[in-house]
Amino acid sequence: MGMLNLVLTNISRKPATRLYPFEIRAPYAEFKGKIVFNPENCILCGICQKKCPPDAIKVTKDEKKWELNVFRCIMCTECVTSCPKDCIIISNERAKTGAKEYIKILVPKVDTPKAAPPK
Amino acid sequence: MTTVIPFGPQHPVLPEPVSLKLEIDNDVVVGALPSLGYVHRGLEKFIDTKDYNQTTYICERICGICSALHGITYTMAVEKLFDVEIPERAQYIRVIIGELNRVHSHLLWLGLFADGFGFESLFYECWKYRETVLDVLERITGNRVIHSISKVGGASKDLTKEHIDLILKMCDTVEPQVKDLEKVFVNNYSVKQRLVGLATMSKQLAYEAGTAGPTLRGSGNSIDLRESADWDIYKDLGFKPAVEKDGDCYARTKVRITELYDSFKLLRNAISKMPNGEITTPIKGFPTGEAIMRTEQPRGEVVYYVKGKGTKNLERLKIRTPTFANIPSLLLTLPGIKLADVPIVVLTIDPCISCTER
Repeated sequence: MGMLNLVLTNISRKPATRLYPFEIRAPYAEFKGKIVFNPENCILCGICQKKCPPDAIKVTKDEKKWELNVFRCIMCTECVTSCPKDCIIISNERAKTGAKEYIKILVPKVDTPKAAPPK
Repeated sequence: MTTVIPFGPQHPVLPEPVSLKLEIDNDVVVGALPSLGYVHRGLEKFIDTKDYNQTTYICERICGICSALHGITYTMAVEKLFDVEIPERAQYIRVIIGELNRVHSHLLWLGLFADGFGFESLFYECWKYRETVLDVLERITGNRVIHSISKVGGASKDLTKEHIDLILKMCDTVEPQVKDLEKVFVNNYSVKQRLVGLATMSKQLAYEAGTAGPTLRGSGNSIDLRESADWDIYKDLGFKPAVEKDGDCYARTKVRITELYDSFKLLRNAISKMPNGEITTPIKGFPTGEAIMRTEQPRGEVVYYVKGKGTKNLERLKIRTPTFANIPSLLLTLPGIKLADVPIVVLTIDPCISCTER
């Protein structure tokens, strides 16, 4: 009898899995998806480069360039917590597979550093 | 006349490169010789180039299943070097994430074990229930596998009220599901036929072979690092180790199922006793001296040895993982076992070869 119940419920039940490419679960708010760099407030201090465990970030002061090697990044969010100007944020959007290896962003010339926007 | 056949490193049943050379006499094993080193990554040497904070991330990547507990043990060892007391709330957060880690690790093992003796549907059930735990971990820490919750000086993330509700809800849903699984693992006729009396280890032998974790406790030794003075937060949570006397594969399975219930109990107790307050202590300077830290992982006791010399990176990091301690017991129990039962016996020590070879 128990087995018959199980069979009947299993026939009428929805599958436990999702039909993946067509039905995608929305990422959770806390999900560490990808690093987003906002160059406006960057003062090229290089703290993110120093703190980064896999050496994925490279900051070049002369060329005013902020570089992230996406293939090396381990999503530890050390750069996010250490940035004094809150330029780096982590978004919960999933990073696409097969993306470009490097993200290179030029930082605009900053004479007087602007204050970080209120959170 | 005996024949030597290779078992692994690629084997359909085992997820990791366990490699044994089995000496076989008419389908019965008479001797076994392990060979390790297929997934050596040189992580202990790698710390030379990273500072002691960054090493936490390396330690977490030693194992994909008990990653949180590797990180926690490392940070606790380094805190011993600095001789700092971290806030109580951070300790409770570590316990909670560690226990969630244990729940998902044991469910994963139960699934793999079911797959090992050919019970496919049970394997899928176990992994389906594990998914709930992983979802909770993802919501709390942002990652499914590498949680990065522990850092030197405290915890890197605080638990909010929603997180706590999620954990309690998870406990309420997964506990009855584990009860369903227990019925199959403990009472099912075919499962019992496969497991009872297989690879029996006496209490004395398990102790002398230096086994750890559920393998040790399955043989009647009541040794659990969560009871010891090294990790004294567990004293307040009313923890008692799960022990079975028989020492066979069936007993080891039962120990792991009992530990699942213990983990749910510990999670509820930890949440009810968790104080408010800070989660980090500021740490200044560089580590000097030596320290040893031991904690209980899902697979058993892990030992971390750290040595600092006053520079930003550690001089030496040495890790003894539970699987390394359990391999001798495997070699002692395998003789006399039929070849068809070898994967099951290998699985009962819950081998994590990537941990062992680092």
